[in-house]
Amino acid sequence: MSDLAHDQVVAHHDEHESTGIESRKLGMWVFLSSEFLFFGALISNYLLYSNRAGFDGIYPAEIYDIPFTSVSSFVLLMSSLTMVLAHHALSRDDQNTARTWLFATAALGSVFLGGQVFEFTEFVVEHDMTLSTNPAASAFYLLTGFHGTHVAIGVVMLLSLWGISRRQGGLSFRQGLNLELVGLYWHFVDIIWIVIFTVVYLLSSPPG
Amino acid sequence: MTATAERPASTIFRRPKSTSGFWGWVTTVDHKKIGIMYGYAAFFFFILGGVEALLLRIQLAQADSEFLTAGAYNALFTMHGTTMIFLFVMPVSSAFINYLLPLMIGARDVAFPRLNALTWWLFFFGGIFLSSTFIFGTSIPPVSPDGITGNLAAGGGPGSFNFLADSPDGGWFGYQPNAGPLYSPGTAMDYWALGLQILGLASLISSVNFIVTIFNMRAKGMRLLRMPVFVWMSAVVAFLLLFSLPIIAIALFMVTFDRQFGTLFFAPVGGGDPILWQHLFWLFGHPEVYILVLPAMGIVSEVLPVFSRKPLFGYSAVVFAGAAIAFLGFGVWAHHMFASGVSPVAQAAFGLATMTIAIPTGIKIFNWMGTMWGGRIRLTTPMLFAIGFVGMFTIGGLSGVTHAVVPSDWQQTDTYYIVAHFHYVLFGGAVFGLFAGIYYWFPKLTGRVMSPRLGKLHFWLQFIGFNLTFAPMHWLGLQGMVRRTWKYAPEMGLEPWNIAVTVGSFIIATSIAVFIYNWRHSRRHGEPSGLDPWDARTIEWTIPNPTPEYNYAHPPTITRLDEFWHMKYDEDEEGRAVRKPDADEMINQLEYDGLNPSGPIHLPAPTYFPIVMALGIPIAFYGIIYHTTAWGKAMILIGALISLSAAIGWAIEPLEEAPTEHHDEIEEPEEMVLDE
Amino acid sequence: MSAEHRPHPTPPQYWRIAAFLAAVTALEVAMFYIDRELELGFLNTAVLVTLSAVKFLVVVGWFMHVRFERPMISRFFTAGFVLACSLYLVVLAALGVVAIRG
Repeated sequence: MSDLAHDQVVAHHDEHESTGIESRKLGMWVFLSSEFLFFGALISNYLLYSNRAGFDGIYPAEIYDIPFTSVSSFVLLMSSLTMVLAHHALSRDDQNTARTWLFATAALGSVFLGGQVFEFTEFVVEHDMTLSTNPAASAFYLLTGFHGTHVAIGVVMLLSLWGISRRQGGLSFRQGLNLELVGLYWHFVDIIWIVIFTVVYLLSSPPG
Repeated sequence: MTATAERPASTIFRRPKSTSGFWGWVTTVDHKKIGIMYGYAAFFFFILGGVEALLLRIQLAQADSEFLTAGAYNALFTMHGTTMIFLFVMPVSSAFINYLLPLMIGARDVAFPRLNALTWWLFFFGGIFLSSTFIFGTSIPPVSPDGITGNLAAGGGPGSFNFLADSPDGGWFGYQPNAGPLYSPGTAMDYWALGLQILGLASLISSVNFIVTIFNMRAKGMRLLRMPVFVWMSAVVAFLLLFSLPIIAIALFMVTFDRQFGTLFFAPVGGGDPILWQHLFWLFGHPEVYILVLPAMGIVSEVLPVFSRKPLFGYSAVVFAGAAIAFLGFGVWAHHMFASGVSPVAQAAFGLATMTIAIPTGIKIFNWMGTMWGGRIRLTTPMLFAIGFVGMFTIGGLSGVTHAVVPSDWQQTDTYYIVAHFHYVLFGGAVFGLFAGIYYWFPKLTGRVMSPRLGKLHFWLQFIGFNLTFAPMHWLGLQGMVRRTWKYAPEMGLEPWNIAVTVGSFIIATSIAVFIYNWRHSRRHGEPSGLDPWDARTIEWTIPNPTPEYNYAHPPTITRLDEFWHMKYDEDEEGRAVRKPDADEMINQLEYDGLNPSGPIHLPAPTYFPIVMALGIPIAFYGIIYHTTAWGKAMILIGALISLSAAIGWAIEPLEEAPTEHHDEIEEPEEMVLDE
Repeated sequence: MSAEHRPHPTPPQYWRIAAFLAAVTALEVAMFYIDRELELGFLNTAVLVTLSAVKFLVVVGWFMHVRFERPMISRFFTAGFVLACSLYLVVLAALGVVAIRG
């Protein structure tokens, strides 16, 4: 199997990259840079409403469980580690190790998602904070909900790669590039959470 | 060429092989076919949007007219705007970029051919989804506080087009909370919001595709500053799309959630802020107008030099001005909100920023004029439209500058003066430019030239009709004619000019009929074009017409800007172009070489997955609209599963399959068969 | 040496980076509780934003390999980030969430 370490290698005989960056990788980076605009809108929306006075019902900042969310954040951070270890293993053509770390990443991502589900359930059932409680609640759920959706899509992609690797006994060169692309996506989702954790959980407070 | 771990043991469906016939088109990943499909679909929507406009104009030709009900009127201007912007101008620009971009940079296709097909199918199904609101959408009149139904939609005699009252009627800009759940109950605005979501996704994917194509797939020697201006404008547009679409996506999600799931983003009753919608919408909306006009500017920058027999004046300046317009275009959105109660500081800042955009725009206009100045002008049809663009866009730009002056804008806002402005830049600008492109590049598609006589008839009818329609709107607006309003009182004295406007609109319609006839006639009976009908400058004219499936038989090498021109012409001591003695022979050789590749050419193979993946999304979105029912929930699930399976199948399928027919050795096509 | 020729990190280095990220996270949480007691106002915001910025840059630079890629990639990425921050800062200012003096 070919070495993935150097991204200068032309992936396909027909492709001559004028930039020297493989096209799919460039494409993923271009897409990710647009996602800043996507999450930026959601975060701004939250910042607008999270401590606006005068709403009925409970504000999300009143009910955050910081210890719980800290553990969640730690889990997601560690999943970035396992992701990069998977990529590294694949670049050394160590298919089995790569597969293991891939699965670990998906598992950690799922734990994070489970944590989100648990948190949302707590908020709804225990504290009666739903989508419709007030705009602050709406903004919180939309932001973290979209982030969670991104994580879920990432988990699906990771498990798909893992499944393909299992079935075929390893990933080909081209599929290995897909792993790198999924990795970039995964890390991006992680850095968005880094921002969310600080801005939403640690820094925001209810009005008054 | 059999990779080992590359190909799985089985997939469910046989890979399509055909590149012709109906299935050839359905499964194509060829940028040219995709571009053509985009073009035909966009043109269909152009007609639809035009009919919507004509109905509006019939209503407004008379004061106090009862031809349309208020509800029908609102629906018509909503759908006219939405259709023209999202279903006509954007897709037709996409058609041009799709078809021409690879040709202009010397490539075989775009960077991601299957994603390209996906964007087409997303647009197609998204357009159907959005338009299906006319059939399925409901728009229940809200109950007014005193309990009497404010049912302006009811009533009206025969021909009142009452069915339209059930269509989206919140304007193409969907201002909240008017277009929200409280004041626009029913499903019509959900079709609008979710339909735009699908279309936005298509454009976002396209933008990634085009950016990577332009950066990565240029032929040898095609440095960035040797690319045709049209390619540059395509790059700029792609960046505008890339960064503005996510914003509207979030805004539309917020509207959908407000309408369907009870969130309170824009509902003042619950504490939501309507101005937030305006910010988010116009953050997208302003870059959007540059998205609409920059491709046409690129086209004009190609057409004017060819028919002036002079290079583009100030190529670098035109390129950088285009980039500057885009960059500044991100900083002016609140000029759509001067009358919405934003602070004086914001008004001053945005007013100033808006004025600065006139600078790069002016640079372009002067450079276009400089291109024509001293040139040997040939008034072909594309040239007429290109010159028309320059004139009409300038007029529209001038009225735009008056909007930048804030107190002046307060007078103009919500009057027909604004309607005049944006139609001058969008119709007089973008649409004229797009027609220039159609006439200019028609030979590449068909190997024939469109009839010059009919083309000129089309131009003059459209020019006269257009100006008769939109020029009076300037003074109608300043005299107080309010926009987005279904009728005006007789004592306002607006009727005579409104009649003129309506007459103008029908002249436009006639001109389009001429165009359609010309298109159809010329496809079959137009004069054969040969390789170089216009004595052009850029490399897409170095290959035969109609374009071969593989584009370039031999990848070109570029040594300078306007490569083709310099292949044909030398310069004498006074800098005048002198045709090389062997130019004609060289052209014949190009034609021969272009039709006879020397070796096998591998093209991306056709595939089902883009159309299947695109199909799942509107299905899921129908489900979202009706999610309170069981079958609605089922549709969400089914749609999601369809798209998901297609995505997985796509990821497994290799881009290239068996070689195409252009080889000497025809290998046995590798068929995927059912396992076991 | 140019970006693409720097040696990529090894697994032990990745583990160390992860430990660093975990430590910074712990610091952030600690800061949260400290501020609950001491109410440091803007200082709290500054510290937390800085800490998360560090995490952000570390993940982007090392895990996403931006430090080892061609500059074009970081330029695209930065462009998107800067554009987002600028646009939304202005929107938040216009909506009164962020105060701009003068």
